[in-house]
Amino acid sequence: MNPRVRRLALPLAVFAGLVLVWEAAVPVFRIQQIVLPPPSGIVRTMAETAGPIAFHARHTLATTLIGFGAAVGLGLLLGFLIGASATANDALYPLLVGFNSIPKAAVVPMLVMWFGIGAVPAVLTAFLLAFFPVAVNVALGLATLEAELRDVLRVLGASRWQIFRKVGAPRTMPLFFASLKVAVSSAFVGSVISETVASNAGIGYLMAVAASDFNTRLAFGGLFVLAAMGILLYGIFAAIERRVTAWAYAE
Amino acid sequence: MGAERRNAPPHVHLNRHAAVAIRDVAFEYRTNGRVTRALDEVSLAVPRGTTVAFVGPSGCGKSTLLKLIAGLLTTTRGTIDVDGRPVAGPLKNVGMAFQNPVLLPWRTVLDNVLLPLEILRENNDPRAADRATWRDKALALLETVGLVGAEQRQPRELSGGMRQRVSLCRALIHEPALLLLDEPFAALDAFTREEMWEFHQRLRLRREFTGVLVTHDLREAVFLAETVYVMSANPGRIAHVHPVRLGGPRTLGDIYGAEATELIRVMREEIRPTQRAAA
Repeated sequence: MNPRVRRLALPLAVFAGLVLVWEAAVPVFRIQQIVLPPPSGIVRTMAETAGPIAFHARHTLATTLIGFGAAVGLGLLLGFLIGASATANDALYPLLVGFNSIPKAAVVPMLVMWFGIGAVPAVLTAFLLAFFPVAVNVALGLATLEAELRDVLRVLGASRWQIFRKVGAPRTMPLFFASLKVAVSSAFVGSVISETVASNAGIGYLMAVAASDFNTRLAFGGLFVLAAMGILLYGIFAAIERRVTAWAYAE
Repeated sequence: MGAERRNAPPHVHLNRHAAVAIRDVAFEYRTNGRVTRALDEVSLAVPRGTTVAFVGPSGCGKSTLLKLIAGLLTTTRGTIDVDGRPVAGPLKNVGMAFQNPVLLPWRTVLDNVLLPLEILRENNDPRAADRATWRDKALALLETVGLVGAEQRQPRELSGGMRQRVSLCRALIHEPALLLLDEPFAALDAFTREEMWEFHQRLRLRREFTGVLVTHDLREAVFLAETVYVMSANPGRIAHVHPVRLGGPRTLGDIYGAEATELIRVMREEIRPTQRAAA
């Protein structure tokens, strides 16, 4: 089999198999639908509530992408600063690591306290989760520039800015783009956590409401949508990474 | 030992137009509050258009000396003149190549070779003004080192020896007056290394440049240099000076001949005396 087809077909076949086992298990073991509905039932509910699901999915996507965009901007800036200056590295890196070790879910109540229930805490939580991988990867890429390469350019009279532009920035790109796919997944997690706790829109909110109504089908429907969105976001940025920094992948 | 050190090479004071003139240079650096003297009382001159080699045990300060000449480090004492001007800060007309060829993996071979010209052009250097001829020059250089047809390839597709040749071309594309080589061929196998020596010689025949080579390979020093300086460690000093009387251009046959072999034996003994069996 063509290796590309194989890479796609194998996991899909396993997934389809699992869905079939699930579908069969519900009637065979007489599981109550309120505990575990069959996939067919979940899909039917999803089709019936397609309108509201689409609305909430758009909301989640928006908060995720806004938080992600802000995280990329500030992550790049801080990464460049830490990577370019030893003083900035010594001063900021430990703080960054310390900050990153705070479980972000614990920050959501504070954000709600300051900004109320709604989209703002979701955007901020997405931002807080996504920002660290970008900053660290960019800083790492700049800090590991080979001394020899720097010397080759310095004895041509190259300025720090020229060395950064010609060598530092491009060689950091693979790490930056690798961090984007991690960051977008993290932003997504952040958005949904915040929506689940304190929002009136978004898939997280939809699932929280469905769960409190014991609408198990709709809760599972939300989960399916989240899975699809997460895979899609990751896939898009993984594809961009492959395209932009193909040189970093040895054949 | 002391007397020998004071015997400065005879041409130091004679050659006023040396490409590189080093006078009584010392270099110290500080780690954890302790001062280490890496180089001391180094004096020598490199006549224009010749190549000198520095050999010696690890830690004798050979690479440090190279960085001092390039202006990447500053002397603690003494002065270094390049083209009659004291070195203060990184030089701007130097080519460098290292053991690690450090090519840019996102650029083609040709664009790697052209990198120095991009920097010079941005800095309004007149040598880089004539853009149309860059490409031709780069292709001619690549041809000299046997890389015809590789110009559009990616560095990752090349062997170690090919990468090192690209690195040499990058060091020479802007026609620097001074070429500084820090163990450039150390990572290559013996036969590839000999090929590189011949390429280096061909590049010298194409265009004159002054060369400073740091190496562990005595045969390489004898093949590439007009003068070999043997250094001793702690602190790094010039212990012996050997003119290489092989003329030029040289062939591989020359360095496996009797005269070169004897010179290499002597230098080897100076760097690391062989243990004599107890009588």
